[in-house]
Amino acid sequence: MTRHGRRLEETTLTVWQVVELARHASRPYSLDYIRRLAPDFIELHGDRISADDPALVAGVGTWHGRTTVFLGHQKGRSLKERVARNWGMMHPEGYRKALRLAHHAAKFGFPIISLIDTPGAYPGAGAEERGIAAAIARAIMEWFRIPVPIVAAVIGEGGSGGALGMGVADRVIMLENSIYSVASPEAAASIVWRDNSRKVEAAEQLQLTSRDLLAMGVVEEVVPEPEGGAHMDFDAAARVLDEALFRHAQPLLAQPADVLLQHRYERFRYIDSLIHAEPHFGPKID
Amino acid sequence: MQLAKVQHEVRMAGAKLPPIALPTNCPGCGVSLDPETLRKHAYVCECGHHFRLGADAWIILLADRGSWHERWGDVRSHDLLNWKVPKPYQATIDQLADEGLNEAVRTGTCTLGGRPIWLAAFDFRFVGGTLSIVAGERLARGMEQAAASGLPYLLVSASGGARMQEGVLALMQMAKVNAAVGRLHSSGVPFFSVLTDPTFGGTAASLALLADINIAEPGAAIGFTGPRVIKQATYADLPAGFQSAEFQLARGQVDMVVIRTELRRLLAHLLEMYP
Ligand SMILES: [Zn+2]
Repeated sequence: MTRHGRRLEETTLTVWQVVELARHASRPYSLDYIRRLAPDFIELHGDRISADDPALVAGVGTWHGRTTVFLGHQKGRSLKERVARNWGMMHPEGYRKALRLAHHAAKFGFPIISLIDTPGAYPGAGAEERGIAAAIARAIMEWFRIPVPIVAAVIGEGGSGGALGMGVADRVIMLENSIYSVASPEAAASIVWRDNSRKVEAAEQLQLTSRDLLAMGVVEEVVPEPEGGAHMDFDAAARVLDEALFRHAQPLLAQPADVLLQHRYERFRYIDSLIHAEPHFGPKID
Repeated sequence: MQLAKVQHEVRMAGAKLPPIALPTNCPGCGVSLDPETLRKHAYVCECGHHFRLGADAWIILLADRGSWHERWGDVRSHDLLNWKVPKPYQATIDQLADEGLNEAVRTGTCTLGGRPIWLAAFDFRFVGGTLSIVAGERLARGMEQAAASGLPYLLVSASGGARMQEGVLALMQMAKVNAAVGRLHSSGVPFFSVLTDPTFGGTAASLALLADINIAEPGAAIGFTGPRVIKQATYADLPAGFQSAEFQLARGQVDMVVIRTELRRLLAHLLEMYP
């Protein structure tokens, strides 16, 4: 599965155990990785319109000798920090901050690393009042126009549109015990059964593990985690993630912008082409 | 095109809409409903309540008579994830097909007031108008062709969001469709979006709010997270009218709220103004 590091092995974990690992309270979060990838990381704040969203960290750091823009959902470690970070659930201002930094990266030709770790966008009244739907929609559309390499990695939870709003990239990889789903198991259970206690069944049905996504062709690679999970060894987890991110970023750095954008378009335009719903279904347009 | 012809085409009195499932009394005013009278008024009650229309009705309402040319209607969804509970997904979609429904999005070309356009209409009766692989494919292909041929793109949405039963591949449709929306905008083709009740989740957070002009129907609920989930997650008391079309107008998300019976005339006029 990977050319370097530990081979991805069969897992004996149940789907729900994977979900619990993805959400583990001592799992490394975006800043734990970013500070190891780029020790000189400088955090930048604000959407330049009205606010700064602490659920998304953003900034610049030197990564493999090159200034790089880092973006990442940030969950809190202590209860106080969790509240301040809103459990990594972004408001509209967060998506605007991300786009601001994306244009910043485009101006200077910096590559972008996006780390995804969110239960979803914030499902609250304030987010609705300030246009969360349009903010996510605009972010998803704009990522296709940012003419610098983007590599995204799901490091924990990839929940719904809130995750995808940060997940349009040239390559998308996942840590072994992370999940990526159309809705959180609780939300899916609430939608399908009107009963969010049936989350385990929903998780099994959703096919949300890294191995499922690799098989569906939605992600390029699954990065094996240290024995027992990423929380057992932050440094080792950061090393394998760093290696995989750079291996994916390197060929992109040499590509002309128009080729990069065309490939990014095709990556998502035909993302379901592994699934031949009909014989004539797929990339061909008549 | 002669003005007289346009005005004739724009009148919608002659368009006979299909019958729709109606309650006995109007949820807006409580008056008992006469289906035939309502049908003649595009299913808008005198009190202003707009009943939900399916894609078939929207096509009849908006396309000039005889001009509709459906595309990719033979591409059908099927169960990719072996989704079994609470009901097998394959059985759900087979049953809907037997009822004569063809996916959550239908698309094609037509004329409106004599002007050739691409039209896509969501159908809430098909798994809640959810964005599926086939729905996304029909939308993206239509937008790519509209961009290539220079035809305006008209969208009518009614959707609960991404389709759970197609898992993360349904989520990915938001990116697939928005990639095409970006190209549609770059091509200079006008894109008009009509948001009807309800437009939520992955549909609101992808193409529905990204048009050049966003038009909402009166009273339509539009948002990202539905009120039930907001209450469950935050214990918030939501005020009356929260996420309504009028709420979204006040917060800058839609350009106007337009009564259904005025819609065709407005769109024909816009198509004249955005050549
Ligand atoms: Zn009424």
